[in-house]
Amino acid sequence: MKDSTFGFLLTIPGLVFLTIVVAFPLGLLFSLSFLRYDFIHPITFHGLRNYVEVLNNRVFWLSLRNTIIYSGGTTTLTLLIGLLLAVSAARIKRFSALFRTLLILPWAVPLVVSGLVWRWMLDPGVGVYNYILTQVGFSREPINIFGEPTLAMIGCILSDSWTRIPFMFIVILAGIKSIPPDLYEAARVDGANRIATFRNITLPLVKKSMLTGTLITSMFSFRTIDNIWSMTRGGPAKATYVIGLNLIDYLIRYQNLGFGAAIGVIMLGLISIFATLIVYYILKE
Amino acid sequence: MGLASKLEGIVESEVTPYIVLSVFSAVMVSPIILIFFNSFKTLHEALSWPPTIIPSQPTLEAYVKVINSPVLLTLRNSLIIASGTTFLVLALGLPTAYGISKYSFKGSKFAMLFFLASRIIPPLSLLIPFYIMMTWLKLTNTFQCLIILDTYLAFPLMVWILKAFFDDFERDLIDAALVDGCSRLGAFLRVAIPLSAVGIAAVGIITFLWTWNEFVYAMIFTATEDIAPVTIGIFHFVGDEVIEWNSLSAVGIFTSLPAIIFFIFAQKYIIEGMTKGAIKL
Repeated sequence: MKDSTFGFLLTIPGLVFLTIVVAFPLGLLFSLSFLRYDFIHPITFHGLRNYVEVLNNRVFWLSLRNTIIYSGGTTTLTLLIGLLLAVSAARIKRFSALFRTLLILPWAVPLVVSGLVWRWMLDPGVGVYNYILTQVGFSREPINIFGEPTLAMIGCILSDSWTRIPFMFIVILAGIKSIPPDLYEAARVDGANRIATFRNITLPLVKKSMLTGTLITSMFSFRTIDNIWSMTRGGPAKATYVIGLNLIDYLIRYQNLGFGAAIGVIMLGLISIFATLIVYYILKE
Repeated sequence: MGLASKLEGIVESEVTPYIVLSVFSAVMVSPIILIFFNSFKTLHEALSWPPTIIPSQPTLEAYVKVINSPVLLTLRNSLIIASGTTFLVLALGLPTAYGISKYSFKGSKFAMLFFLASRIIPPLSLLIPFYIMMTWLKLTNTFQCLIILDTYLAFPLMVWILKAFFDDFERDLIDAALVDGCSRLGAFLRVAIPLSAVGIAAVGIITFLWTWNEFVYAMIFTATEDIAPVTIGIFHFVGDEVIEWNSLSAVGIFTSLPAIIFFIFAQKYIIEGMTKGAIKL
């Protein structure tokens, strides 16, 4: 048997599995999106009508807008804090293992639990963080964070960022660690200060890690609903209603699978375009 | 002089990174510590305002309540689902990654692309097709259903990570085994796998934790407490009238514990695995 045949044989089980759980459902998704499939009418071909209806649906656009704010907010906050922490961690000589362990611990908490924990900490009736806000003079009464649209969104972004910062931190730190130390020494001999070396050496050389971290963080927060589900379930007044919740509602609430499939295809399309752009940019670097 | 030089002084100082890291570590760890303390409060104290941080009369009330509730069963279910998934991911992933890494064939590049593309598909997009497939196969509300779906979630990334580990694996060691009369399959099973144990352990741990944390598929595909994982079970204490925050915190501790233990003891390997998978994107 040729070596390449042996290699192919080894991969067959994996490829068959992937075909069953990815390629087939993907084909099914596209097919469904062209069907009227709502458990009321007989299943019939529906052409592009599901798509037309989705694109004319006000709630769909609202959920898309919320998703962009939510994942954009999370990614920005995660990137800024992750970068600050990675740069700091790369500089220290003592306790680095301790800080690394502490900083990645939130990663251990399941997203759905993270949502519940933040809901509790921010709660106006029992929440410690809300109590602290009243004590430092931020407000007199406890703030009903989940009753106010903008604050509810900020709460969701905080909880999501909390679980995503560790990954960003690790990826950027790995990027910084791979920069040859000679570069910094040479720059310092030339009299460059830390701000200059950060701008001229660190930033350009960790750009790739930052992009990778950004791609993964934004993709994941675009498509996850776990923590929003446990914090607000989309409320108040649909202020945190994201596209994933919209899709799920068409399965469990309205039972209109054709419509839901059309949303699924649109979600896939948006993520693919976004991921292609970033991957292209990473490869170009 | 002025603000700019003051800022430069702060940035240049050797103490600054320690201060930054201390402050952020405190903020990042505080939710975990707060729920840890909260889990030892009585329900009365957990519901009172102003909130306390350290319980005034520490009690195991919340833990007793959790142990006597169906949540204990969901913890067992999580264990079954996560172990089953980890086994399936490794059983499928090891030969796949090894074949692609060490015996590249026509189309192996394409196969890797297939795995990468699978990662980009949002799992929510496939939710409705999976719902129809699982209904056809009469698999809804079974362990098999969640193990298959959770394997789908982890498998593509794990193949990438395993391939990165096998890429670093010395070709000479395999060749030496072949010269000694080992078959190619024997070299894979008896040389490559044991010598890659660290990478395999990392992949196993990451898969286990991912599966342990999974929520959406579990919510859609489980209906009863004898199948549902603990990410569903935790909602047992979220009532319409009142949320039992002390018991909920205790469940939160239970659910986060395996990962916290892994992170403290196997941190190096988990980080290596994750960065390998991310950077070789």
